[in-house]
Amino acid sequence: MQTLGLAVEHYVFLAGVIFTLGAIGFLVRRNVLVQLMCIELMLNAVNILLVAFNRVYPANMVGQIFAFFIIAVAAAEAAVGLAIVLAFYRLKGTVMSDEGDSLKL
Amino acid sequence: MNQVGSVFFALMAGLSLLGAVGTVSARNPIRSAVGLLVTIVGIAGLFLRLSAQFMGAIQLIVYAGAVVVLFVFVVMLLGPDASKVPAGPPRGWAARAFAGVLMAAFAIGGGVLVLGARDGLTLFQPVAPEHGSVELVGRELFTKMLVPFELATALLIVAVVGAIAVARSHEPKGKAKPVKLAPQALFHGPLHPRDAGHPLVKERA
Amino acid sequence: MEALLSLFPKDDLTLLAFIVLLPLVGAVVNGIFGKRLGREAVTLMGLTAIGGAFLLSVAAFLILFEAQHESERAVRLVWHGWEWLKLSGPGGAPVTLTVALSVDALSGTMALVVTGVGFLIHLYSWKYMEEDPGYHRFFAYLNLFIFSMLVLILGDSLPVLFVGWEGVGLCSYLLIGFWFDGEANASAGKKAFITNRIGDFGLLVAMGLMLRNVGALDWNGLEQGRGNLMEGMQIIQQIGWLGMKSPVVVNTATLVGLALFLGCAGKSAQLPLYVWLPDAMAGPTPVSALIHAATMVTAGVYLVCRLSFVFVLSPAAMLVVAFVGAATALLAASIAFAQNDIKKVLAYSTVSQLGYMFLGVGVGAFTAGFFHVITHAFFKACLFLGAGSVIHAMHARIHDTDTSQDMRFMGGLRKYLPITFLTFAASWAAIVGFPGTSGFFSKDAILLSAFSSSIVPPQTAVSAPGGPMDVFLWPTWAGSVLYAMGLAGAVMTAFYMTRLFIGIFFGEFRGWKIVKGWKEPEHAHGHDHHHAHETPGPGMKGPSPHESPWQMWVPLAILGALALVAGLVNAHLIGIHLFDHWLEPVFATANQGVKTKGELAEGPFLGAAVAAFAVGVGGAYWVYVTQKGAPAKALAEGSPGLYALVRDKWRIDELYEETFIGAVDSLAEIAVVFDKWVVDGIIARVTAFVVSLGGTILRAAQTGRVQAYAFTMVLGLGGIGWFFVAPHTDYRLRADERNGQYTVALTPGAGYTYRWDETGDGKWDDKEFGPKRELKFALDADKSQKVRFQVRNGFGRVRTGELLVHRPKVDKSGADPSAMEAVTPEMRAAASAAGLKVVAPNRPPPKIPPQPGLLPVPPGQVHP
Repeated sequence: MQTLGLAVEHYVFLAGVIFTLGAIGFLVRRNVLVQLMCIELMLNAVNILLVAFNRVYPANMVGQIFAFFIIAVAAAEAAVGLAIVLAFYRLKGTVMSDEGDSLKL
Repeated sequence: MNQVGSVFFALMAGLSLLGAVGTVSARNPIRSAVGLLVTIVGIAGLFLRLSAQFMGAIQLIVYAGAVVVLFVFVVMLLGPDASKVPAGPPRGWAARAFAGVLMAAFAIGGGVLVLGARDGLTLFQPVAPEHGSVELVGRELFTKMLVPFELATALLIVAVVGAIAVARSHEPKGKAKPVKLAPQALFHGPLHPRDAGHPLVKERA
Repeated sequence: MEALLSLFPKDDLTLLAFIVLLPLVGAVVNGIFGKRLGREAVTLMGLTAIGGAFLLSVAAFLILFEAQHESERAVRLVWHGWEWLKLSGPGGAPVTLTVALSVDALSGTMALVVTGVGFLIHLYSWKYMEEDPGYHRFFAYLNLFIFSMLVLILGDSLPVLFVGWEGVGLCSYLLIGFWFDGEANASAGKKAFITNRIGDFGLLVAMGLMLRNVGALDWNGLEQGRGNLMEGMQIIQQIGWLGMKSPVVVNTATLVGLALFLGCAGKSAQLPLYVWLPDAMAGPTPVSALIHAATMVTAGVYLVCRLSFVFVLSPAAMLVVAFVGAATALLAASIAFAQNDIKKVLAYSTVSQLGYMFLGVGVGAFTAGFFHVITHAFFKACLFLGAGSVIHAMHARIHDTDTSQDMRFMGGLRKYLPITFLTFAASWAAIVGFPGTSGFFSKDAILLSAFSSSIVPPQTAVSAPGGPMDVFLWPTWAGSVLYAMGLAGAVMTAFYMTRLFIGIFFGEFRGWKIVKGWKEPEHAHGHDHHHAHETPGPGMKGPSPHESPWQMWVPLAILGALALVAGLVNAHLIGIHLFDHWLEPVFATANQGVKTKGELAEGPFLGAAVAAFAVGVGGAYWVYVTQKGAPAKALAEGSPGLYALVRDKWRIDELYEETFIGAVDSLAEIAVVFDKWVVDGIIARVTAFVVSLGGTILRAAQTGRVQAYAFTMVLGLGGIGWFFVAPHTDYRLRADERNGQYTVALTPGAGYTYRWDETGDGKWDDKEFGPKRELKFALDADKSQKVRFQVRNGFGRVRTGELLVHRPKVDKSGADPSAMEAVTPEMRAAASAAGLKVVAPNRPPPKIPPQPGLLPVPPGQVHP
């Protein structure tokens, strides 16, 4: 595909905004499920960045392959994370992350 | 072609942003999951725009097809508790708000510094048509990146086992006696004892 | 004899070391191995140690006797030990303290008495302490005591004497508190030691003053340099607001004398430090006999005699000594009137007799005072041992300590304890001054001297800051007053000692009803101490009191015999002055300052002494035998307040308790509060508070909530971001100083470009930023150069830094011959052509900067 006029900076800016949104969402929201989804957002933002730079430096495919592995790991992490959410729910009866303060001194 | 490409980019970027905002700000987790789905679809479109066809497909299959579904399943399992918010003002909202503001400040500052330092835009150059094709990525994956690939396999297996171990219910044995049915019962009556007496369930021969 | 002499050369008498060593060995062996060795071995070790020391003392005495016969002046045989300390004396001159022992007429005699009486008391203790489980410990302590006492007596200098002084104090504490599980015993031991220590302070002050003025602390040095002590010393400066016209200046000799006397007052139980001696009766009776009658308490008198030549420099100090002695004699005698415990009576009698000794030496009659020491040793030891024998007999039935010593339950014991009675009678005769006994002669000599003797200082004025100062002179009325006090004391002594004698040995036995063949009931052995509820008297039944075994009455007999006849060595009334002549050379220097009133008729004094004896004894006989104690009871009932006061020892202990000890207690309370609130408060509570506060603050971050941890990560992200966004201008300078090559290397970084300004003039070498990371340049010696650099990172941010490099001067001032001009062959040729010789270039000496306090060294001089 021939592209002109678009620059990598646009993609960088977009990835930054999505990442920031994900990070702020993780810091602000109390619901554990929403926090996990925000983590997925952050991972996706990084994927955009990697693929965009791979497009600028197409010498090898490392960018896309790295993004591939990120997707794999994100999937595994989502599975285990949700299993933990279920166990947490069974223990506390709620999915508010505030309730998980057993490590409080 | 240019304009179409730019419009397409703007559309997909807007979709992703919209989805991201929805994920972060929705009250109901189902709505957050839908927002995540929209973001993922948008990002898949961006991948297409970036000549990463394989990645786009993978994004849709894995993320939209598995991860988001997983999220939705868990929300279903939790039932109404998934979205129950405890009464009263949220605990520690000031700290969380401050954290969010700080993150935003870092992000804006970082963005200004990084993007401001660049003199001129780096336009995309034309690339070979095989760039981002299944063959190319596959070849790399199975030759140079074979070891990480196999390790990723192991990782996934471990993740599955771990998820099962963590998520299974740890009830002590002997609490619920399994219902013993004669083999013929498989062919007679309702499929499950609890359906017995339901008006729509017919007696089977 | 010759063989003995050849073994121990006169100039280094090792014999003395052995005299001191034997008791020490006995103490160590008995103390460490005593329990394992068993009773017999312990006894053997203890007795042979002291017996050996006695024999060696006899040998030393004989050697000394022969040496003294051949010489005009006082002979002192010395054993040089080793060097102990180096101190600085007057004017900064170094003074060396050596450990040395010496024997002369005074210490030789004293050593004989100490080891002899000591041996007899060891023999006595064999049987007296037989039942005691701490038997070996007792002998170890006794031997240790004899060792310390011998070190005190035979020491050649004040520090060695002080070691012995402290040692006998320690042994006194150990032996008084021998039965330490009784609280009263332990307290008595503590009291003795602490009261002693108060006196020791005086002794240390005196040593310091003598070191400062005389610069020597051994007897020879002190005797020769004693004149230096006659100078005034300011002790209190002029305090205008108190109305003082001039500072208080005192003769140093007086200060020394008073300080020494403070030590003597502590050790020899004089006013005001006598309070420990009556309490010391809590120890076993042989201890009382040895330490508190014969030897330790006489150490104070010995010290005065030893330093007689120092004391006579100050009539003021001697007056104090004499008056304190006389006052103590009277006070103690008065207390003894109302005591019922026989050991307490003897204790106060000891204090009283010590007062007499100090009265004697205080007026300058050193020989008389010392003679009384010796006779007192004999008769007081005999009295104490006799009392022990009586208590031993009473203990057979009455097991309570206090009751078995109470005179009111004794009486008529002369039937049952004949030997004890006879020896006690002999000593009684000596102490009351029965004409012809040793006590009679010694006491009479003291009383005579009290009247007739006075101290004359060697000079009447001494130099002092602020002009010459007059020396205090002996008042003329002192003689009569002292004599009157002494005579009164003699009467009182006779009275109360006769009271004691009658109370124990005459009349009817008041302890229990004597039943022939009475046996202790079997069940009583189980609870021995419950016998105490049986009060002694006609209601109690018991066996007849028994005499003591030979180990106990042989020493009594020896001491009693000595008490009777020992006076004959110095029976001046019949013209025998053996002892005076023997001790004359020792006190030769001191006697220069003693003046006796002309020729006095001895008759009236003799008569007065006999009259005192008669009045005292007769009075006691009349009150207690003829009138059966009625006048005494009437007096006691007539003035009950006075009687209670006298019986309670004039409540002086209570006075001390209220004032001094109370003050110290209050100080201790303040210290406790300070410790609890200030020290503990600051060190413990404040630090704990600070730590816990820090913990509370830090704990605020540990919420357990994952979002808080994520926030921390955000902060870390900010830090990392800063690190990457800000350019870093750290550099490394490599210097090669010998050649003057310098290299400045900046840190590499992602996207870093650099710009240099080598000359530091503000103009960049190259306007563009380039990849050149290092800058090399050269410097001449002693030159500096400023280098400026700029770093630009990938984000376009720029930072400047600068650096000043200085190359130091090459050091040419060292004696490096290669740096000097070499003498070349051309120079040599040129010089020889001119008829000159080549000499190495004349190097000027290095300039030493002038240091304060040091004189500049002229060139050519060698530093020592």
